[in-house]
Amino acid sequence: MHHELYDRRVLFVVGKGGVGKSTVAALLAVALAERGKRVLLAQMGPGRRLGELVGVAVGTDAPAEVLPGLCFLTVDGGAALAEYLGLVLPVKRLHRLVVTSKLYHHFVAAAPGLKELMTVGKIWYEEQGESVHGRKWDAIVVDAPATGHSLQYLRMPAAALEAFGPGLVRREAQKVVDLLRDARRTAVCLVTTAEEMPVNETTEIHTQLRDRLGMPLGVLFVNRVHTAPLALEEIPLPPPGAPRLIGDVLRCAREEVGWAAINRRYLARLQAAVPMPTVTLPFLFAEEFGLAEVRTLLAHAEGQLAALPSAAGGDA
Amino acid sequence: MLGSLLRDHRVVICIGSGGVGKTTTAATIALWGALQGRRAVVLTIDPARRLADSLGVAALGDEPRPVEPAVLARYGLRARGSLAAMMLDQKGAWDRLVARHAPSGEIRERILRNRFYLNLSQSFAGSYEYMAIEQLCVLVESGAYDLIVLDTPPTKHALDFFEAPQRIREFLDRRLVRWLVMPYLSQGWAAAKAMNRTVGFLFRKVEEATGIVALAEISDFFSAMSGMFDAFAARAHTIQAILHAPTTAFVLVTGPEEQVLTEAEFFSQRVRALRMPLKGVVFNRVHEEFPADSVMFPGGTVARADESAIAAAVVAAGIAPERVPWLASNFVDYQLLARGEALRMEEFRSGLSRRAPFVTVPNFDSDLHDLAGLRRMHRYLFARTERAAAPPEPPAASRVPLEPSAPQVPAVRRERGRTEKLHRAPRQR
Repeated sequence: MHHELYDRRVLFVVGKGGVGKSTVAALLAVALAERGKRVLLAQMGPGRRLGELVGVAVGTDAPAEVLPGLCFLTVDGGAALAEYLGLVLPVKRLHRLVVTSKLYHHFVAAAPGLKELMTVGKIWYEEQGESVHGRKWDAIVVDAPATGHSLQYLRMPAAALEAFGPGLVRREAQKVVDLLRDARRTAVCLVTTAEEMPVNETTEIHTQLRDRLGMPLGVLFVNRVHTAPLALEEIPLPPPGAPRLIGDVLRCAREEVGWAAINRRYLARLQAAVPMPTVTLPFLFAEEFGLAEVRTLLAHAEGQLAALPSAAGGDA
Repeated sequence: MLGSLLRDHRVVICIGSGGVGKTTTAATIALWGALQGRRAVVLTIDPARRLADSLGVAALGDEPRPVEPAVLARYGLRARGSLAAMMLDQKGAWDRLVARHAPSGEIRERILRNRFYLNLSQSFAGSYEYMAIEQLCVLVESGAYDLIVLDTPPTKHALDFFEAPQRIREFLDRRLVRWLVMPYLSQGWAAAKAMNRTVGFLFRKVEEATGIVALAEISDFFSAMSGMFDAFAARAHTIQAILHAPTTAFVLVTGPEEQVLTEAEFFSQRVRALRMPLKGVVFNRVHEEFPADSVMFPGGTVARADESAIAAAVVAAGIAPERVPWLASNFVDYQLLARGEALRMEEFRSGLSRRAPFVTVPNFDSDLHDLAGLRRMHRYLFARTERAAAPPEPPAASRVPLEPSAPQVPAVRRERGRTEKLHRAPRQR
């Protein structure tokens, strides 16, 4: 079985800071690479987590192969802008003159939104890429920055259509907007934990993506879900005179049951507020979190993904 | 614990990455101030709806709203001082700033309608941070509060916070603007292009690449803003003075997870580099490591292999056997997690200045998003020195509290005693 999410060209992974976006982005990229696809895992904007997770040093400006068929790339707005100007100004000396000028740094590089636009533009550029084998990438998984900022990125191409006069930028912004809104090529996956703040924020992002950005939605991943086979009332008090260990064991049980209850409550709230196919990922009691843990979570996700209704991010 | 430190401070700035309980910590510090008899205000960025509701600041406003004593009393909190809360409205703060400094109504309107300004005031990296600090400035100058707690934005961009005044000042630097923009403005676009071959060339290329509208708007913005530069520069000085004042404390809020601590290290290096030393560190949602019984666990710590022995001990204590396998494996899960956290926190602390005290707040079995949660957290943040003033524990209700049952054994002290024995573990990258 195979979920249609895996047929998209570009998957954006969006969510509040600290909920596990990078983990889910890595999980999707590994899943796609395991299906024999050539995958680009792109970190959009600043952030070090994803690079650490896949074992790539920060600051690489060319895709680095981290697993067979899986390459990692950090997409930085400033570098993308310079690269773009390199395409516009193919003469090296002129290009250098422009990008080292005060004017460039003061107005162009500092112009609100231009770097964001260039970052998303770079994703589009990679999506269009060709190699001797045909398409450069079968799929691109994008780890977006924390919510507010990623909406700013995703909003920019459409904003540029309005703000910029006729010119190269405007023409290219149109192509990027077309990609972002194309349900056959693109899907936005949301990541959250089942807790107060992330759930509120996810509800808000969902509305924004659907109603204001018009982007096709993929799957909602609920990360770090605690489950417990007991209810709070079923945990006994330590019998009188029991060793301290027993009290400690029961306290840990209460903590886990408490969080399982919180997660259950917020999962229910999420499902009422965010009508997206949902995959839950368990909280892992791991001392270190690396690719092995990503694969463990992927094993939990695969069965759920296969069972999801296929209308998920369709052309509805 | 934090009380002895914060007593001497008038401004407390909570920094740290998102999702670590920064807003809750900031609100708790302000609550502490109010309980101590101070006129306290917390300026939050994006509080959880429940906390905002609980504090009565769900709506954006340009004024702090007092939290009614009756509301506090409902949670058994008796404030000798007062507590107010305010949620930052970024756009509104920019508009007020422009309104305050614009030399004329006509210029004010021109700025407020400028498309570049609209974009800048909503999305310029650093502008949110600048406005937070601008608002802080307004609160300090009002003289209405003697404890102002600032929550910083929940992203890594919060780092821009420190540099925002500097960046805005550079951005609006008069000479540079005059050099670049004024010729263009006074003589028009064509004149600028002709004026100087290099500048003209650059303008032309940039125009081709970006579209002229954006640049024209930017220039108009700068020309409208030019009357405000001196006011801005003066403001930036005031802000720097507040940030560096001895009565201003930076408190780093973090969690014990690897990723969060990596970011916390980054924050701590940055404040040090900016000569704004940390006055305290709060570790939130820490899993408690229970001292391991040395007879049962000769290694001194709980290992996966101990699961069956733990299960046997639980059965021997008379707990219904069908629950025991889960209870034992859950305990080992938690203890291994807690061990990893303790090692990471120890390593993090070893890099901090000795004078920066820390406090750990356990991972409660419920989330803290209302006044009851603040009261609960308060017991940990201010346990040692503020015991007399610490609010009473809520009625036990349906659950047994997770905190140490005896408040006279503060979590902090136990934590420190234990981690001193730890060896530094090599960190895996």
